Parts: sequence; structure tokens; C-alpha cells
Amino acid sequence: MMDLLHNEDNQNGKEITIKIENLVKRFGNLEVLKGINLEVKKNEAIVVIGPSGGGKSTLLRCINRLEEYQDGHIYLESIDVEKLDVNTLRARIGMVFQLFNLFPHMTVLKNLTLAPIKVKKIPENEAIEKAKNLLTQVGLVDKMDAYPEQLSGGQKQRVAIARALMMDPEVMLFDEPTSALDPELVGEVLDTMKKLAESGMTMIVVTHEMGFARDVADRIVFINNGIVEEEGKPEEVLKNPQKPRTKEFLRRIL
Amino acid sequence: MDALMELFKNFPFLLLGAWETLKLTAFSVGIGVILGTFIGMGRLSKIKLISYPCTIYVEFLRGTPLLVQISLIYFGLPQLGIQLAPYPAAIVALGLNSGAYIAEIVRAGIQSIPKGQYEASRSLGLTHWQTMRYIILPQAFRNILPALGNEFITLTKDSSLASVIGVSELMRSGQFVISRTFQTFSIYFGIAFIYFLMTFVISRIVRYIERRMATA
Ligand SMILES: Nc1ncnc2c1ncn2[C@@H]1O[C@H](COP(=O)(O)OP(=O)(O)OP(=O)(O)O)[C@@H](O)[C@H]1O
Ligand SMILES: [Mg+2]
Repeated sequence: MMDLLHNEDNQNGKEITIKIENLVKRFGNLEVLKGINLEVKKNEAIVVIGPSGGGKSTLLRCINRLEEYQDGHIYLESIDVEKLDVNTLRARIGMVFQLFNLFPHMTVLKNLTLAPIKVKKIPENEAIEKAKNLLTQVGLVDKMDAYPEQLSGGQKQRVAIARALMMDPEVMLFDEPTSALDPELVGEVLDTMKKLAESGMTMIVVTHEMGFARDVADRIVFINNGIVEEEGKPEEVLKNPQKPRTKEFLRRIL
Repeated sequence: MDALMELFKNFPFLLLGAWETLKLTAFSVGIGVILGTFIGMGRLSKIKLISYPCTIYVEFLRGTPLLVQISLIYFGLPQLGIQLAPYPAAIVALGLNSGAYIAEIVRAGIQSIPKGQYEASRSLGLTHWQTMRYIILPQAFRNILPALGNEFITLTKDSSLASVIGVSELMRSGQFVISRTFQTFSIYFGIAFIYFLMTFVISRIVRYIERRMATA
């Protein structure tokens, strides 16, 4: 994916792409996020882990405003996301879902070109060129005329990743992208994500794949019960967790 | 014998009436689909100022007889200064009526599309309307095609009510033939048979399209 991303500087530690301040989210009376604080630097790959119901998906969905939140702030490149037009914001943030959510009535190529053409008003032939380029990079250019139902789960998810990349997002959000896959198909998707991270894409990945977290993440964030319980470098958090809850979670999952 | 002779002799005339019935139905369903699409979407709106009127519309039109609706538009509106000729009045009445039923079909069709489709589209930056137009409605229409076919068949039959305001569709043509020949049984039977032929053919066409789309 190298050539399609703007990654002039590949070192961490410069600009902050996403900053989350004291984020509170309630569903009715149920407080799901209880003051989340998190910073994601440019080119950084963050892996979010934590027990079911802890609020990981909700956090991702707040970032691109698929969910409203009640308190706190989220900044994209230091601009409060609530000050941005919601569609502009979403075009700048790529999202990959557990269940792929490809559009079943469109070919793979159409799945990729629709949003760039309709949202960014890119000429169709340009969009097609770009789609072919991205499909080549995820190894699926021969499937561009196929319909989603003709693809395996792993192929679907790689198409979904390419579809999100078509918008040249500044950050990519992944919500358990391999959880719905047969075990033998997990690897191809993780490889694609790993390449993406290596190319400098800023990523927030919710996953239970600890191998991926260890090898790819710049930082691991453990979210439990609506707060960031612990965060740090993979080797620190995975080998030497500080909080009892983190220890317990890792003991169960590893 | 006379009865059959009269039926044969007048069959071409009845077929002309059947052609009018088909046109009337097609126009009305056309209006119904456009109206029903917007009202069906409107019922799902989070904005009450949109969803409530749509709900009232659907409930009112489904809760009153079509014959009354036709009469209201053809005989009633002139009192308010709106005078429609029989044919437009029939199309308006049938279109408004089928719009209510189709709205319910469309609503169910939209609700049958997984929420993830809407969210995936919105997360790419497409607006609500773009998402409806390119993602949700195309899939919904594929799912509701059988129900729309049924509505077309229902309306083909219901359009016979337009005869009461003098639209020369199949029913009215038949009554005209009867008034000259007095062959009530054979002509009414002939009318019934032609209605049956039409609905039968329509249901076959719908099934054919359905199968084509399933394999596409
Ligand atoms: N639309 C909703 N309405 C009400 N409650 C919700 C809604 N979505 C999520 N929740 C609740 O919010 C809490 C957090 O859910 P969330 O999906 O963010 O957790 P998660 O960490 O992603 O869990 P998992 O690992 O199972 O995906 C849960 O208690 C869930 O029941
Ligand atoms: Mg989740």
C-alpha cells in the first residue's frame, strides 16, 4: 500500500492524529464509556483489547460519530470532530467491520468506487484505476468483477479494507476484523493489516489476536468497563501487566 | 348459444377495455411506487414531523374503502373547486391508495436490510439520501419485488371500481355490452376470465423477474 499513502515521515512522536478527552457515552441509563482518554499519534498502530461489553466497539463508533456521545471531546488533527461536517469527517476515517458489510448488490469494483465518486467527486476512470491498484495490493484484482457472495470471508474483509482505503483516510478503525472468519482465513487479513501498518497508516484495531498485537502494535490499550485501564508498549502490557484486571484478562485469553 | 355468440362478438371490445385496465393499473402503480417509497422512508424517519403525517396517511388510506376514496375525489372534490375528469380521477385515487400499501411494503423492505449496510455506507461519507439511493433501496426493492407484484395484481382487480365514475376500463366495457345484449352471465363470466388471464400473466412475469434477479 506504500505508494497510496502519504507517509513522508514514518517516525512516531510527531503530530497527534486522534485525541480523545474524557469521553462519556450512555445508552439510556447505561454508562458504557466512563471518561476515556486516549491519544493516537500519526503513523501509530494501536491495538485495543478488553473483555466483552467493555465499550471497545462503542469507542470506535464514537470516533466516526456512528454513535452520539454525551460528554467529552474527540479531536481529529486537533479539530473537534463535532465541528466538522459529519460526512467529511467520515470520509477521512476508514472503518472496517467484523461482518465486512460489503454491498451485496454491487461488484467488488463498484463497492470500491462508489464512495470516491459520490463523496469525493473523483472521475470514474480515475476511481477505477485507483481501485485496481488497491485490489492488486490486497491480492484480489482478479475478483474485481465478482459479487461479494462469490468471495471467501477473508477475501471479503480484504475488499472491505481496500474499500475504506479508497477514501485516503487519515486513520483506519478496525472492529474485530477477523472475529467472523474461519481460523484458516485469519492470517491473510492480518497480513494485509500488518502491511498497512508498516506503510505508516494510523490505525486503531480492536482485536483478540494477541499475536498481531505483539508483532504490529506500537501500543496496546486495555479497555475495561468503559475506561482505559492500562496502556503501554506490547511487551510491557503483555508480559508484565500492572493492573489485576489486565492480568486476569490476559490469563483468560492467552 | 346466443350467449356465447355475443361473448365472441364483443370479445375484441372487452379486450380494449382490458387494455385500458392495464394502463390504468400501470399508471397507478407507478404513482404508488414513487409515493410509497417516500412515505415508506418517511415512516422510518426519526423526525416526528415527518413520520407522523406519513403514518396517518397510511392508516387513513388503508382504513377506508377504495370506493369511498374514488367517490371523494371524483364527486367530492368538485365542491372544493377541483374538477377532475374520470380517468385522471381514477388514476389519482388508485395511485394514492396503492401508495399507502406500497409504503408499508417499502418500509418492511428497508427494515429487512441489515443495519451494517447503512453504517458501512455512512462510514464512507455517503449522506443519508445517497445511502438510501445507492445502498438500501436497491437491495430493498429486490426483496420486496414479490410483494410489489401482489400489489400490482390487487390493483388490477381493484381498478374495476373506476367503472363507477365512468372510466371505460374492462368492467365498464362489459357493463356496456350487457346493456345492449342482456347476456349477463356470459359477459360477466368473460370479464372475470379476462381479469384472471391478466393477473395470471402478471404473476408469471413477476415470478420470472424474481428468478432472473435471484441468479443475477
Ligand atoms: N445500541 C445499543 N443500545 C444499548 N446498549 C448498547 C448498544 N450498543 C452497545 N450497548 C452496550 O454497551 C456496552 C458496550 O458495548 P460494546 O459493543 O462497545 O462492547 P465491546 O467492548 O465492543 O464488546 P465485544 O468484545 O463483545 O464486542 C455493552 O454493555 C452493550 O450491551
Ligand atoms: Mg465489540
